[in-house]
Amino acid sequence: MIKEPAYLKFIKPGFLTSVQDGGRKAMAGYGIPYSGAMDQLSYNKANQLLLNPKEAACLEMSLIGPEVEFESATQVVVTGALCKVYHNRLEVPMGKILNVKSGDSIKIGAFIKGQWCYMGVRGGIESAKILDSRSWYQGITPQTKIKKYDRLVYLSDEITFEPQHAHVRIDTAWFETNEIGVYAGPEWDLFAEKHQSALFSQLFTVSEIQNRMGIQLLETFENQMEEILTAPVYPGTVQLTPSGKIIILMRDAQVTGGYPRILNVTEEDLNILSQKKPYQKIKFRMISNP
Amino acid sequence: MKKSYFLIHAGLLEISWPPEISESILWEQLSWKHRLEEMMGGKIEQIRLGFHTLSISFKHPVMIREWDDVFEQLLLTEPDISFPESNCWKIPVCYDPEMGCDLSFVAEAHRLSESEVVTLHTSPTYLLHFYGFLPGFMYLGGLDQKLHTSRKKSPDRLIKAGSVAIGGKQTGIYPGESPGGWHVIGRSPVGFFNVNNIPPVVPQVGDKIMFNSISSAEFFELEKERDNYKWIND
Repeated sequence: MIKEPAYLKFIKPGFLTSVQDGGRKAMAGYGIPYSGAMDQLSYNKANQLLLNPKEAACLEMSLIGPEVEFESATQVVVTGALCKVYHNRLEVPMGKILNVKSGDSIKIGAFIKGQWCYMGVRGGIESAKILDSRSWYQGITPQTKIKKYDRLVYLSDEITFEPQHAHVRIDTAWFETNEIGVYAGPEWDLFAEKHQSALFSQLFTVSEIQNRMGIQLLETFENQMEEILTAPVYPGTVQLTPSGKIIILMRDAQVTGGYPRILNVTEEDLNILSQKKPYQKIKFRMISNP
Repeated sequence: MKKSYFLIHAGLLEISWPPEISESILWEQLSWKHRLEEMMGGKIEQIRLGFHTLSISFKHPVMIREWDDVFEQLLLTEPDISFPESNCWKIPVCYDPEMGCDLSFVAEAHRLSESEVVTLHTSPTYLLHFYGFLPGFMYLGGLDQKLHTSRKKSPDRLIKAGSVAIGGKQTGIYPGESPGGWHVIGRSPVGFFNVNNIPPVVPQVGDKIMFNSISSAEFFELEKERDNYKWIND
């Protein structure tokens, strides 16, 4: 069977729908961020369920899902935030491999828990690969979010294989914990000792000020730390601003920064954090290095 | 110079030099980067530079004992004396007040005339330490102390592509439209970042940069060729 390029068409664009993959991992030398799926765990899961290559691109959707129409047959699966999924207006479970035929529609409805979900398409979405990744980012890819009637290419595949675990229950318990594991950051020792312990005894609130670049916490800290000479930062770097605000950098984070880097969220818990909606609480837990 | 490293986790660590912006630190960073790629190339996902920092992210966790051996080796590395033979790029900048909306503010803040600001900005040879902040944004060392100007308290919502600006002890060029808190003193008609080129930038880390004052007529003429600009290398 020859795989034919086909389009998926957006009847409704959703609030913030984009193409994401594992990100651009070797381009920081030119000031280019990693980007990639906010919740890498759920993104990987979508590809695993479809037996896709690890780096296949998926659709990332947030808060208000899109409605998509498929030009020809393929298989899709939805993972990540708990949300309502409709196949030709019929509600279907998340994590189930859906055999889509020509003209079928998939709609993502209300988000119940979490805020980022992923739609994997068999073989991956074939949007332009730029500097080694298909992840959308301003100034790198021609587009940063889906608009109404946009079309994306995938390779149609009539072979409807039935994986052994055709329906994996999508569990959300993993991101419902409020504990976020962190390592000490390079400027940790400069952070006054009394503040160090306070950081681990209190609950913090995720604020509305958040996007793919970073999340600001609501609580502020008394801060005597000065800015530093511009130095590398990563997704997961926790910065303390001169006004005492805490910013956790996420996948689209710039590659360098000038605020002290007090902590560094673990890779696994960065996925958990991405799923926290505004006003949810988190608590930092220090992980010591051997 | 004293060097130390800080292990963030088994897949990410950072080497630091004394906190200053200096050419000799950059030469050492570049020779260490080169040595690291020789010694651990296949294990490294990415190396990033800051003014006095070099961070390494690894594809898989590294054993601390292995790393300590590498660090010992690095400490024995002599800076490569051939590095200073780098390119020097002349970048045209129009310092017309219409392009540099904060030029008069910077002049007044330092009790200088606008033309004195331009002279002070076009005199030094700057050193490209690293790219950061945004794709194609150059971190330059060498701004005249007389032009050091604290960043704006609240950033401007939109700074135009090509804007040449001063923020604290640094000067730089916004390669694309973005919000920003630096004082804009001019604009360059050059395209500084193009994803269709490999590499997407022309000046490389370690190269020298000079600014060359042009009229607004020259600006508009050069702007037509933004993406095919012929870079001038001295």
